[in-house]
Amino acid sequence: MKPPHSSACSSYHACAVSRRHALKVGGLGLLGLNFPWLLKAEEIARAAKIKPRIKSLILLFQWGGPSHIDMFDMKPDAPEEIRGPHKPIASSADGIQVSEHLPKTAKIMDKVTLIRSMHHTMNNHNSAGYYALTGSAPATDDQRLRDSIDLYPTWGSVVDKFAPNSGEMPTFISYPYVIRDGSITPGQHASFLGKQHDPLFFTQNPNDANFALPELTLPAGISYERLHARRELQKIVDAQTRLMETSAETRGFDTYYEKALAMLGSEKLRQAFDLSKEPDVMRDAYGRTTYGQSCLLARRLVEQGAKFVTVYFDDSIGGQSTEDGGWDTHGFNNTKMYPIIEKRHLPITEQTLPTLINDLDSRGMLKDTLVVWMGEFGRTPKINGNASRDHWPQCYTTLLAGAGVKKGFVYGASDREGRYPAENMVRPDDLAATLYYLFGIDPASEVHDRNNRPLPIAKGKPVTGIFA
Amino acid sequence: MKACMIAALFACSAGLAGAEEAPVTFHNDVMAVLAKGGCSSGPCHGNASGKAGFKISLRGEDADFDYNALVRDMFGRRINTAEPEQSLLLLKATATVAHEGGKRFDPDSLEYEILKKWIAAGARKDADGIPTVTAIDVTPKSQVLLEPDFSAQLAVQATYSDGSVRDISRLAIYEPANLAMKASPAGLITAENPGETTVMVRYLNQHQPVHLAFVPARPDFKWANPKAHNYVDRHIDAKLRTLRMNPSDVAGDHQFLRRAYLDLLGVLPTVDEAKSFVLSNDRKKRSKLIDQLLERSEFAEHWAIKWADLLRLEEKALDRKGVELFHRWIRESIANNKPVDQFVREIITARGSTYQNPPANFYRAARTPITRAETVAQVFLGTRLACAQCHNHPFDKWTQDDYYDWAGLFARVDYKVLENRYRDGLDKHAFEGEQVVFTALKGEVKNPRIGKDASPRFLGRVEPIDEEQDRLEELAAWLTGPDNKLFARVQANRIWYHLMGRGIVDPIDDFRATNLPSHPELLDELTPDFVSSGYDLKHLIRVIMNSRAYQTSSLPNDTNAEDTINYSHSLVRRLDAEEVLDALSQVTGAPLKFDGYPEGFRAGQIPGVHAIAMRRSKITDADKFLQVFGKPERLLATEEERSCTTNLGQALQLMTGPALAELLSNKNGRLDKLLASGKSSGEMLDDLYWTALARPPTLTETAALSRHLEQATDKRAALEDITWSIVNSKEFVMRH
Repeated sequence: MKPPHSSACSSYHACAVSRRHALKVGGLGLLGLNFPWLLKAEEIARAAKIKPRIKSLILLFQWGGPSHIDMFDMKPDAPEEIRGPHKPIASSADGIQVSEHLPKTAKIMDKVTLIRSMHHTMNNHNSAGYYALTGSAPATDDQRLRDSIDLYPTWGSVVDKFAPNSGEMPTFISYPYVIRDGSITPGQHASFLGKQHDPLFFTQNPNDANFALPELTLPAGISYERLHARRELQKIVDAQTRLMETSAETRGFDTYYEKALAMLGSEKLRQAFDLSKEPDVMRDAYGRTTYGQSCLLARRLVEQGAKFVTVYFDDSIGGQSTEDGGWDTHGFNNTKMYPIIEKRHLPITEQTLPTLINDLDSRGMLKDTLVVWMGEFGRTPKINGNASRDHWPQCYTTLLAGAGVKKGFVYGASDREGRYPAENMVRPDDLAATLYYLFGIDPASEVHDRNNRPLPIAKGKPVTGIFA
Repeated sequence: MKACMIAALFACSAGLAGAEEAPVTFHNDVMAVLAKGGCSSGPCHGNASGKAGFKISLRGEDADFDYNALVRDMFGRRINTAEPEQSLLLLKATATVAHEGGKRFDPDSLEYEILKKWIAAGARKDADGIPTVTAIDVTPKSQVLLEPDFSAQLAVQATYSDGSVRDISRLAIYEPANLAMKASPAGLITAENPGETTVMVRYLNQHQPVHLAFVPARPDFKWANPKAHNYVDRHIDAKLRTLRMNPSDVAGDHQFLRRAYLDLLGVLPTVDEAKSFVLSNDRKKRSKLIDQLLERSEFAEHWAIKWADLLRLEEKALDRKGVELFHRWIRESIANNKPVDQFVREIITARGSTYQNPPANFYRAARTPITRAETVAQVFLGTRLACAQCHNHPFDKWTQDDYYDWAGLFARVDYKVLENRYRDGLDKHAFEGEQVVFTALKGEVKNPRIGKDASPRFLGRVEPIDEEQDRLEELAAWLTGPDNKLFARVQANRIWYHLMGRGIVDPIDDFRATNLPSHPELLDELTPDFVSSGYDLKHLIRVIMNSRAYQTSSLPNDTNAEDTINYSHSLVRRLDAEEVLDALSQVTGAPLKFDGYPEGFRAGQIPGVHAIAMRRSKITDADKFLQVFGKPERLLATEEERSCTTNLGQALQLMTGPALAELLSNKNGRLDKLLASGKSSGEMLDDLYWTALARPPTLTETAALSRHLEQATDKRAALEDITWSIVNSKEFVMRH
């Protein structure tokens, strides 16, 4: 028997898909309706009340934590130990200044919304990263927060559940790293929503000359025709029992074969992943870096219908090298933040971010695609003893560009020294609610964790002030 | 009309009290309305942070808090005693002013009337000593409804502390678990289609489940009177007959054999084993086979996986040596058929070095009193306590005090970390090296509700523990002792689940009064049978596997196709991760490669879960395969962490994945041996089919596949194709 559901929410407990339940379409539906299907209808009905404002989203996740004060929230009037060595420059948007190291980025500021009042209190990368990627605060600020199915699903998985693509194009794709800090950072997959909502994920480097996806590549010696022939033989074996006819689980598995076959045979998908189809000048414009080519790939994937594409800047928090790693520039081990970001992080951003946004714009894709650029936190307003900056979740900036949001707009503000939001504080919870809302998904939509607790997909409120 | 309803409602209590009309009380009436309207539910104002600035306690667990929220907060704007109809409470609930939660009830409803009356009377706090509800009684407790009469009227009586009894049918909440059933506010439960449901009936802090079965008429239904093999079938059949369903036929030898091997050993029968079983004329061959399989080493290995999932055998916390030692201890306990109660006592009381006394690894993995408390409750008592950490459990009797008092039993478990070679000192979950689990002399758990130390006591018991004794020894004795009926019931149900695919109580770690068993009498007989056998795992397995219910075909008949909970036919499910991979290795005759284990090691023999999080090195294709097919990380002590749903990634693994591709191309495997054997294509097919599916190919299969083989220029490629198509068939991937 199933546990009960509350009268206030008829879906309460309905998706108690325990291990064995999931096999039995219907759970309790002894002779009649199978309620997972019912539930889906109900969820979709709920979602349908909100008009989608975006079709796709590209998340550029800046692992390690970029410094807000040195990029999009400059404080030229603050004391030197706060404002840092970089100077602000005017941008294409009235009143918005950015770092002098981002002159091309400055020219796209008329296309973006900056939220300068992002705020949370998780000081460690894994807990903050999880919070940022899911909109759900972890119970503790744990430096090695364990990646278990107790935790919230990431945004893309929620979109995959509530607004999935039909056809061969996956809804949610993420690459080219598993981000980690000592242990794998939670918040990169579907967690308790179930593995069927995990992203199509890969670690192949789009900047490699022979970049290809093994999942979408047939093994050596297996042509598509041969795979088809095998599938035909398989169907003969499948026809010998009545399993397909009598077991919904079995039929369900077979539909995945159909989908896999469609993907493997999909010209669309193959094309999307074939970066060699891009002219050299375009590839150069994005930058011949893993990040640059990943962003180019993101545009190609969205062009073919992917709904949610996550590009991770790097797999490590980094910050101590100009060769690799993320934004975590503490100045440890005699490194210094400014020479490193001047040589690595800012130039890569400067090359790729405006290119992506301009490219999307010139193709008319910015009308229904939203680009979100963010880290898990900002960096300390006060420069530390190593001439660098440490973690600062209390206030930081997130950049959004494209569909659904205002252009040349700043939402919220930090205080004079960039320490705390001075107005319109936005938590990761609110950002999650905002993005779901933009997709037409009710942020109050309920999912059930493994303890069967009814939980809203986002606990915050949509930041309607940024809506175009 | 509303006046009539009120009058009718209060007639009972009025009659008892001797007055015309009992006054509306806050506790017994207003709170009930807030619950019935859904106002105090988790998604609404009962949420931990309230909704739209209005917060009341979750499901009305704190009446004083709710009173203040209604009457005092917001400068009393929610209540207007001068003009009751203008109270924000009523304006919101009727959606007269904008209400995010929509309209909860109409102005001419009983709910409205109760609130209005209470407000008009001054919205007063109840007088001290007003009667409180002590019990509710729902009639009927269970009912079978025959088509076309698909509606059941429930009636609820509440008993109060002063002994008075009142009909509260119109105030109770009715929640059918099966969403296809509808409940009216007055307790009329209707169904459009046949099916079963529990209806949870709630009133204030009381709840009672009701079981309803809506049975199709099936005028020509005839009970087939199938033969019962043992008491299991008598219980199963009794319910099936009531539901007008016949069980499916007994499965054929091929199906039974494959099922028995997979369920007991996690591997497929060999060609010889399969053929000799099928050809045998021994009328007792099935029960003999069960006996034989129970004595094989793979049995202990396979059933060790089930405990390894629950006891969290993963390398990051236990390290590889710890995982291997603990796994060996579990395996040997099963092989020696150690009584399950003793096995559990040894775990609960385990202390000392995690290398010298392997079960001490249980505490090495569960490192806080809270984790230990939740794990022991869930694994050994089938009780999910997690809700009660933050608030009283909404569907169970557990309070926050129960939770922390139980956790207090584990407060003194402590560790001496003799060595930690794990390089990342920041990771508090990872250890490499020996540890000693010991009991500290002091240490308590703080109960945040009272801001004081909890007073350790057993779950569901009032009296405190005997502080003279060792807490864990005392706990182990109580847990597995005669005073605690739940332990054996939970363990018997778990064994049933692993063989039958669904618990009699399901989910199997969610025992509570409000989660009804599908076959209570069956569980009532299995449990004492298990206890009197000396908690003998093998005995209970024999009872279950010798039943007709276990041996029934997975093919449904006309009467039972929709059934998923009454064991009318065998449930079809995907093989577990380890089972699929080992079966692939067995069919291809090619060994698997796992990081850190010798070639030829089976997936089902791997003791733990790799601490992959700490390595950057690539895991092997076989390890990856297990992940995709849902082998759990073993971070949570529950069967639900192991996923046996199907997904796209699994289809891709089997279609084009590297693990199977490598097995198929192995040069010393079955394929090359078959090609070199000089066998005809028919004989080769025969060998492959018996190995993979424990049956010969059908004529259709022989014709099509032989043709594929004979027409091919590259015979090996053709044989690969054929093997691929067999192992990609549903018959192979599913346990049926």
